[in-house]
This record gives sequence, C-alpha cells and structure tokens, in this order.
Amino acid sequence: MRNWLSHRFLPLFLLTTVFAGHLIHAQTTQRDSEGSSASTYRSSASEVRLVFFATDEHNHPVEGLQQDDFAVVDNERVIRDFRSFSRADLIKLDVVVLIDASESVLPHFKEEIADVHQLISQSPWNPEDRLSVLSFSGMGAQIVCSGDCRSLFIADRIASLSAGGATPLFDALEVTAKILIERKQPDVWPVIILFSDGDDTISKAPFHEALEKIQASEAQIYVVDLNSLGQASNGTAILQRIADDSGGRHLGIGQGDVEVFNSVTSDLHSARLVTYALPESGSTFHSVRILPTHNLTLQFRCRRGYDRSGSSHSENSP
Amino acid sequence: MSRPFPLIFLFLSLPALLAGQIGIYQHGTVVRMHMGECIGAGHGFMVAFGGPPTPMSPEPCPEYTLVSDHVVFVIVGRMSNSLIPLAQTIDFRFHKNELAVRVDDAKHEAKFAIKEMTVRSDWDRVQRHIAERMKDSEDHESEVRLR
Repeated sequence: MRNWLSHRFLPLFLLTTVFAGHLIHAQTTQRDSEGSSASTYRSSASEVRLVFFATDEHNHPVEGLQQDDFAVVDNERVIRDFRSFSRADLIKLDVVVLIDASESVLPHFKEEIADVHQLISQSPWNPEDRLSVLSFSGMGAQIVCSGDCRSLFIADRIASLSAGGATPLFDALEVTAKILIERKQPDVWPVIILFSDGDDTISKAPFHEALEKIQASEAQIYVVDLNSLGQASNGTAILQRIADDSGGRHLGIGQGDVEVFNSVTSDLHSARLVTYALPESGSTFHSVRILPTHNLTLQFRCRRGYDRSGSSHSENSP
Repeated sequence: MSRPFPLIFLFLSLPALLAGQIGIYQHGTVVRMHMGECIGAGHGFMVAFGGPPTPMSPEPCPEYTLVSDHVVFVIVGRMSNSLIPLAQTIDFRFHKNELAVRVDDAKHEAKFAIKEMTVRSDWDRVQRHIAERMKDSEDHESEVRLR
C-alpha cells in the first residue's frame, strides 16, 4: 500500500516542488529586477539626487564602494537611509564643452583646441550621450554644435574657431546652465568641461549669479585652467571655486593632454549616484557633503549644495 | 632593533583595547554634523574642569550631535579634520573631561570636547516641536502658493 502511494504521488510531489520553486524564483527575480530598475531611475518631487566620487588615501577611485560605506550630511542632518545607490555610468551624459576663445588665452589656444579634439574623439561616449560645444569671446557665447558633436565635420568647425576679444566667462556659464536646465531629465547627468583662464572681463552677470545658475543646473564642472601651472592668479582662484562648488575638478593645461583627458574620463566612469528623501529644513538652500561611515581614509567629492526651490530635485518619474 | 615598534603600538592602542574588552563603551548615533567654531578659552560645557585653555583654531571644527539612550551630547573636534565615522552606531566613553570616540575599526580613539549635554527625553520633545513647526510653515507656504 505504502509502495503504491509513493509510486503514485512521488512524481506529482516532485513536479509541484519544482514548479513552486520556479514560481517563487520568477517572482523574486521580477521583484529584484523591478527593484534594481527603480533604484536607478526612481525619482519624485521630494527626492535628492547626488552624483559623487570616492577615492582612497592614494587618490585612486574606490571600485567596490557599498552604500553603507558613506553617509550624506544634508543641512547638518546625517542621512544613511538611501532610496537608491548605483554607478553613474549607467545614466546618460549631457556634456557641454565650453571653449574660451578670448584674446587672453591666445598663447594656449592651439593646445586648448587639441585637448577638446581629444576629448571629443577619444572619450568612450555611449550612443545616447549628448555632446555640445560652445565658445565664448567678445560679447557672448556662441553655439558651435548642440547635441551631437562627435562628427568629423564638427571637429573641423572647432579647429577653425578664431580667438580674440574680451572674456564673458560668467555670461557663458549662465547660458550653458540655462541650456542644461531647459533640457534636464531625471536620468541624465549634466557635465560642463570648461577651458578658460578664469579672467572674466566683460560679463553682465556677476560671479555669484553664475554660480547659482550652475547650482540649479546640477552640473558638475571640470575646469581645464589655461593659466601657467604654479602661478597664483585671480583667474585660477575663480576656476578652482567653480570646480569645487559643483563637485567637479580643477585641472591644469600644463598637466598635458593625456592627463586632462584621463582625469575627466576616469571620473565620468567612476562616479556614483545616490538618491534619498528630501530632508525637512527651514531653508531652501541645502548644503551637502559626504563622509565615511567607518574607513576615514576614504575621500568623497560632490557638489556643495542645492536649492530646494530650484530644479535641484527631480520632479518627473519616468 | 625592530622590537620597540610593536611595543609602542601596543602601548598606544592599549587604552582602546582595554576599554573595549572591559565593555565600558557606550553606544550612540551621530544624527547631525556641521562645521562650527572651535572650542577655545571660555567656552564648553566642561571648561571649568578642562585645565589650561587651548588656543582657538582659525579653521572651523566639526561639531556633532551624538544621541545615546539617555543623553544627547553636542561634541566638538579639536581640529578641522577631527572626524567621526558616521556609522549607524559608534562607541564612546568619557575620558577625563572629554568624550573618547572609537574610530577606524577600534584601532584608536579620538577625543572630542563636550559642548552640551541634554537629557534624551527633553531633546526628543524639542525635536518633535521643531518638526511640527516646520510642517506648519510648509503647509502655510503651500496654501499661499495655491492662492
């Protein structure tokens, strides 16, 4: 009797077990995949998105960074509960290369154009990345190309740019920030690569206004300083401030094409994106910084703050 | 020749190791942090017992709000780079007039000046009050915007 039962029901039991296992696995996988896609793109009106970089004591990017390795200090409040944490290279880039073509950069202009060429032609762009080029000199900024600047034709146009006139740096930064704000999307990371000597001579916009606009655009700025290395100047101090406030980097043209190119591309690929619920605060401006939770040798770099009333937190849910 | 170094290391890390083993550490969570004024002469909760005054640093010093089970401490680092790892739970103990915080996976401790001490229940009540006021003002703001 027992044998008969086991023969009759054993296959049925095994079949049920296997199917149940598959069913549970399928449901778990579906939930996981939903979770992972949500962790990258989920956003709401009350969410803060922060792109940041982590380096070790030797200034090398930290590869295996986990979300419990750091905490965000947002307007003094320590935040450890994140909605999502991912590598920023999973999101699309909207890069604007801003070329100073004023008279003051004439001695370095050829070098500047060569660097721009290298960045455009050799960076490992993804098909969905946007690349625009603007130049500024005289009374304002001119768009060289917008969106897709990776063709040979554009390279020729950049090479034929002429230099001369005054330096409307702050106006050019404002224009660039406005462009980035207008086409802002929650899953796109705005980046400005600025080649300049930082010596503004004619802008209508004051420095602080340009900084505020950049802050609203959430763009990270990589500055390639055209001043000679080791020479302290007002322009260098301004460029340093622009880079630091945005969480970007300040690089010298004297470091060489390869160094500038490697620094920018390695940053773009080692960046992380963290999102968290907007903390309550009495002020609209939130200062932010990231600090380690256990390994104090880790260094973190991100923008210094965002404006809650501006466009600093996402409002669309794709 | 190389023998003194392990001995020196042992001597330096002994207080932290000993404290860890005896279990005298209290546990707390850092909930707030900002760069503020360094504690110099004439400031600080324990300044009366703190010995000779120390000169103020020109750079700002980190100030932390550390919440433990019964007491909330506001502590200040001695220098701008006196950082506490912002883990969910950190270990600390009283050391003379300061708070010694275990950092860097218990290899050593960092000392922080105590600026304020508040009973946890009082602090919780104040935080609830602040949160309510913030919510009221946000509701008011959104009402004004709707008009």
